[in-house]
Amino acid sequence: MSAPPAPDGGHPNAVGSVDGTATDLGTSAVGDGQVTTSAGLGGVAAGTDETAASGTIAVGSADAGTTAAGASGAVATATKATAVTGAALAGANGVSVDRSDVVTAASVLPRSSSVLSTAGRWAGAIAGALVIFSALVLVKGANPIAALADMVMSMLAPASLEQIAIKAAPLILAAMAVVLPARAGLANVGGEGQIIIGAVCAAGVGLAVDSAGPVALVAMLVAGALGGALWAGIAAAMRLTVGVNEAVTTLLLNYVALDVMLYLIYEPWKDPNGSGQPATRPLEVAARLPLLGTTAVHVGIVIALVAALVVWLVLRGTAFGFRLGVVGGNPEAARRARLPVARLLLVAMLLGGALAGLAGVVHLAGVEFKLRPGLTANIGYIAFLAAWLARHRPLPAVGGAFLLAAIVVGGDSLQLDSGLPAATVNVLMGLVLLAVLGWTARRPRNAAG
Amino acid sequence: MLLVDVLAGGVRGGTAIMFAALGETVSERAGVVNLGTEGCMLLGALGGYAVAAETGNPWLGLLAGAAAGALLAAIHALLVVWRNADQFATGLTLMFLGLGLTSLYGAAYVGEAAPGFAPVPVPVLADIPVAGEVLFQHDPVTYLAFVAAPALAWWLRSTKGGLLLRTAGERADALHVHGHHPGLIRALAVVAGGALAGLGGAQLATAYAHAWFEGMTAGRGFIAVALVIFAAWRPLRVMAGSYLFGAALALAPALQARGYALNQFALDVLPFVITLVILAVLGKRTLRAAPEELRRVFQSAPSR
Repeated sequence: MSAPPAPDGGHPNAVGSVDGTATDLGTSAVGDGQVTTSAGLGGVAAGTDETAASGTIAVGSADAGTTAAGASGAVATATKATAVTGAALAGANGVSVDRSDVVTAASVLPRSSSVLSTAGRWAGAIAGALVIFSALVLVKGANPIAALADMVMSMLAPASLEQIAIKAAPLILAAMAVVLPARAGLANVGGEGQIIIGAVCAAGVGLAVDSAGPVALVAMLVAGALGGALWAGIAAAMRLTVGVNEAVTTLLLNYVALDVMLYLIYEPWKDPNGSGQPATRPLEVAARLPLLGTTAVHVGIVIALVAALVVWLVLRGTAFGFRLGVVGGNPEAARRARLPVARLLLVAMLLGGALAGLAGVVHLAGVEFKLRPGLTANIGYIAFLAAWLARHRPLPAVGGAFLLAAIVVGGDSLQLDSGLPAATVNVLMGLVLLAVLGWTARRPRNAAG
Repeated sequence: MLLVDVLAGGVRGGTAIMFAALGETVSERAGVVNLGTEGCMLLGALGGYAVAAETGNPWLGLLAGAAAGALLAAIHALLVVWRNADQFATGLTLMFLGLGLTSLYGAAYVGEAAPGFAPVPVPVLADIPVAGEVLFQHDPVTYLAFVAAPALAWWLRSTKGGLLLRTAGERADALHVHGHHPGLIRALAVVAGGALAGLGGAQLATAYAHAWFEGMTAGRGFIAVALVIFAAWRPLRVMAGSYLFGAALALAPALQARGYALNQFALDVLPFVITLVILAVLGKRTLRAAPEELRRVFQSAPSR
């Protein structure tokens, strides 16, 4: 299959500057509209950077065949023609061309009909999940209507809204820990472990100096971020030196982190004056996160929102963010453009780990005050899915984190009012996520053939 | 004897991991990663235990466990093959679904007795010193596992089905050219993989722990996923690796039974650390052995 002309606005031959500071990744590729295929990086680079023409590096979509197939609807049968187009320095691997930016574009400025159909798909997906959930609860012998009604009512109570904000804080931070590396093409499934290590490091510092009050709090935040970064750094190092996929190593490191924490709280750090439970002593009140006004919400939510904003700005408006996008979109092109790929990957992963570590500190100093088994309550995994739900875009990921936080809070009412086990909420969450994953997929990935 | 205890425990405890890892091998050789293996195992464990308890027949429980695992994996197959959903995200979501479902329906079986598999020493062989105790004084499911890995290796290598499956994972377009449907083959592979993981879970509940409790697989599904990678997608190496992990898991109780006062968590962490170290040592070598389509999945992981 030879390379057909680009079907949708000539992206494959795009010429853009990787070095420019530019860049409105979001709005550039709107021309793609719904045909969000792997014109990807080429398309993005094209619209992005016309103004910064110096030091031009061409980045082209290697996979013109795929693009064409996507446009014509004959997706599944596309044979991959890895045609190197035009003067572009095309990456050899067309499949790995980043779609997230293009998708961003499509959903930032969609046509009105696509807004409706997107909303419709989401509504349909969530409704489907609720129906299946009801059936499952019914089988269990509980009344699903009552259970769901209780859940929604309890979510809307003022106290629950505070709870949602409290739960959302570490979720947002941990979701950012997924979003940032994802931009560079890394799958950080290790949020859970990085959160634990962040909390452990913070607790270590806190237990030593928490009488110092706010100073101790700052020290704890720094220690937690460093710890999280270190934990993610192990996975990054293994990826960069021996090429082991980070999704696997971060997953395994989660279990190692858990054992590290359990080891500490069952023996060396166990509270001698405690009730015999494996836990550290609680932090001094002075070293806890202050509350916002008269609410029960601690200041962690502010930290989280600021962090999300910073991540968004960094990814959207800095050269670093843009380079990460290039590395994630087409590593081969990035390499040929002489970007320091290894360093970018390492930094992305370290920053991600630091964010997750912060999530651990916020959870520890805002909610738990001491290390105990079950400290993290799957925050890391839930945040991974929140980030995924938002297709790794920072601001929507904040929304995803709030949505999942709401489901988690609603789950408590399931337990209290309907007598269902606490983990039942995992069913609801899983179903909603599966429905959203399955029914809002924008296009089949034609790489598989 | 400590060594015999650890080795025999490794064979017994490694069996569940082996079934799950063989299932993951089938799935990944066809080009699909299933991080939901943990969920499939959990559902298989509960399904197996519940059916064994209700019917009084552990063999039916084993079948039910496999069916439960297959059912959960079918969701993965549908979403990944038909809807092209992200494999990592879908798999992880399945883990949550498995956790939730087993918690919702499993509460009734916590602490409930169910008929399980008892050890059946193999005549003559069981009397061999050391080897007999390590290999031939187990329950029937463990013996089944002895056959499963070589059988899968043979099937993958020497049958038409195995060839189709491997091609779906290496060169999917070649299948198209010959009028096959790589998507269908993949979906079947994922479902079969889920069935094996479910079988592993059922073994864990009915032959190893003789109990059901929430989250009883404790990361074995993830170990299985990692194991497949450093076993370079070969069933026989998967078998060896599984027994290695089984042994690592068996070390803690064996030492504690002898009165060594060790912090349990220093030992619990062993399988994970060993996995990481082996991955680090074998690193690039294993990646080169990866099925082509799978490598693509790994390299373009969070692309949307």
